Amino acid sequence: MAAEFDVTARGSPAADPPPGILGKVMRHLLHPFRRGTPPQPQPATGFYTDTSVCIGCKACEVACKQWNQLPADGFAFTGNSYDNTGALSAESWRHVKFVEQFDVLRSLRERVPGNGGGTSEPLAERAEHSPADGRLSLDVIPPPADRWLMMSDVCKHCAAAPCQHACPTGAIVYNEFGNVYIQPDICNGCAYCIAACPFGVITRSHFDGHAHKCTLCYDRQKDGLVPACAKACPTASIQFGPVAELRERAAKRVDELKQRGHAAAHLYGNQRTEAYSELHSFYLLLDRPAVYGLPDDPVNPWVHMRGDYLRTVAFGLAGLLLTLAVFLLAGRPA
Amino acid sequence: MTPSPTATGYAHREVTKPPNWHGLVVWDVMLNAVTTGVFLVAAVGDLARPTAFAPVAAWAYPLALAVLLADLVCLVLDLGNPLRFHHMLRVFKPSSPMSLGVWCLTAYSLPLTGLAACALFGWRTEWLHPALLVVALPFSFGSAAYKGVLFSTTAQPGWRDARWLGAYHVTSALAIGAGVLWALAEWLGASEAAGLLRWATAGLILLGVYPAVRFAVEFRASRVVMVVVTVLSFVLPLVLVATPQAAWVAAVALLVGGYVARSALVHRPHRS
Repeated sequence: MAAEFDVTARGSPAADPPPGILGKVMRHLLHPFRRGTPPQPQPATGFYTDTSVCIGCKACEVACKQWNQLPADGFAFTGNSYDNTGALSAESWRHVKFVEQFDVLRSLRERVPGNGGGTSEPLAERAEHSPADGRLSLDVIPPPADRWLMMSDVCKHCAAAPCQHACPTGAIVYNEFGNVYIQPDICNGCAYCIAACPFGVITRSHFDGHAHKCTLCYDRQKDGLVPACAKACPTASIQFGPVAELRERAAKRVDELKQRGHAAAHLYGNQRTEAYSELHSFYLLLDRPAVYGLPDDPVNPWVHMRGDYLRTVAFGLAGLLLTLAVFLLAGRPA
Repeated sequence: MTPSPTATGYAHREVTKPPNWHGLVVWDVMLNAVTTGVFLVAAVGDLARPTAFAPVAAWAYPLALAVLLADLVCLVLDLGNPLRFHHMLRVFKPSSPMSLGVWCLTAYSLPLTGLAACALFGWRTEWLHPALLVVALPFSFGSAAYKGVLFSTTAQPGWRDARWLGAYHVTSALAIGAGVLWALAEWLGASEAAGLLRWATAGLILLGVYPAVRFAVEFRASRVVMVVVTVLSFVLPLVLVATPQAAWVAAVALLVGGYVARSALVHRPHRS
């Protein structure tokens, strides 16, 4: 047992820098250029998040922070339901979103006397007529048309990720499980991945200046464990496994929900579109993606790259040729 | 059913998050335009009319190098971890405009340093000078070309729709470079080069009108920015082309107009 606790104290001969300041500088300069042996590819894994059973308990947020030792993001009153972390960030790799779809105006109209609503009794009078324990009668509970939508958001682990495409240092890679992974010892915080992500997942940490996001618990996966958030989810809203298997499960669940009358139930990101790849973390939604803060039709920014370069190079070359023509033709003696 | 404001959930919010790019990046984009513009125009002039451009080139290459070094300082300081700047060179990834740009800037800096040294120490040999120019030209062009595409191939509001940003940036860089060299030639008394650069400046400004208009429309620039950039980058320098004595005014107008446009560009996602 003592040897296990001693692991961090033990040095690795290969990683130990040569003594002296010069050795440290050399290690700092050369370390990023080292290459290890790539691991054997495994079947792609991911998340399937069924928002129809999410209860907004935030156990996933807590489990993620606990396992990955992430600092608090500063709890603030966002004014948006029970959402107190606001967004995904370098310190919050899971974010539970809350959408309250309540018809407040109708509810108020119904409670105003003589307004033709469901009741003409003011709330105070109704309290008087309520049972002996003094509690309001249960008819103040919103009718079924009103609903909560909750969704645990996370990195989408895109099959063709714009962040990975953008990364100039090679810090963002696909690991053996097909997950998008930021190597924390390589990232230099250029922030290009932040600009490239159409889902607003990645941000730069205030602590170390590097970009961070969900690793899909790469360390746990390597040890055959389920990611912390999926393990903690009490309703199986977050499901983890091989992506192909998750897709089948999700398709069955959509059929089941539609049979129960949820006509709007659909999957988001399970299949590639013309403008975007499939997501290895995909969702079952009950409303438009935009309502959940997801782009309705995400576009991979790289689809424009060839055309943008062509226009740039064409006008650049035209400028150089024009300059050359002026210099060669103007001012020459006739 | 009249939905309450919360029924729309997160629909009214911009999904993307702006990168932490502010003043240093504005200067980076601006200095990129100046160094590449000055070098490219000077190199073309030096190769086409070496005798006429020799006095201007002697100042142009050290100037381009100084501006490039300032640009590189901005690039490094803007990183979240500046001590890891060399990680940019651990991979060559042409599919990433930033990676391509870093390699182009690195490759451009080496012959430019040689050219600046030649200019400063008077080593103008018959073969070395044109060889360095030919080597530096494509990398300088690449350094100018990648910058606009870097912004337009992102998911950020304003940038993601700007299909003509790269073309605007590169034509603007050339116009700025020609304008600065024209002012320099007037100051040095190199009348032949000044006369040529005056017409080159006018031609390059006119060439840049189309991409600038397309970019402004796609980018949905504010009216104030559009008016300021139109006056400083297009109208005023074109009017002043007829007045050789006003070369410095034209150059300053081009520089300030270019800075305003690039400042609006970099800060656009933060306004959404």
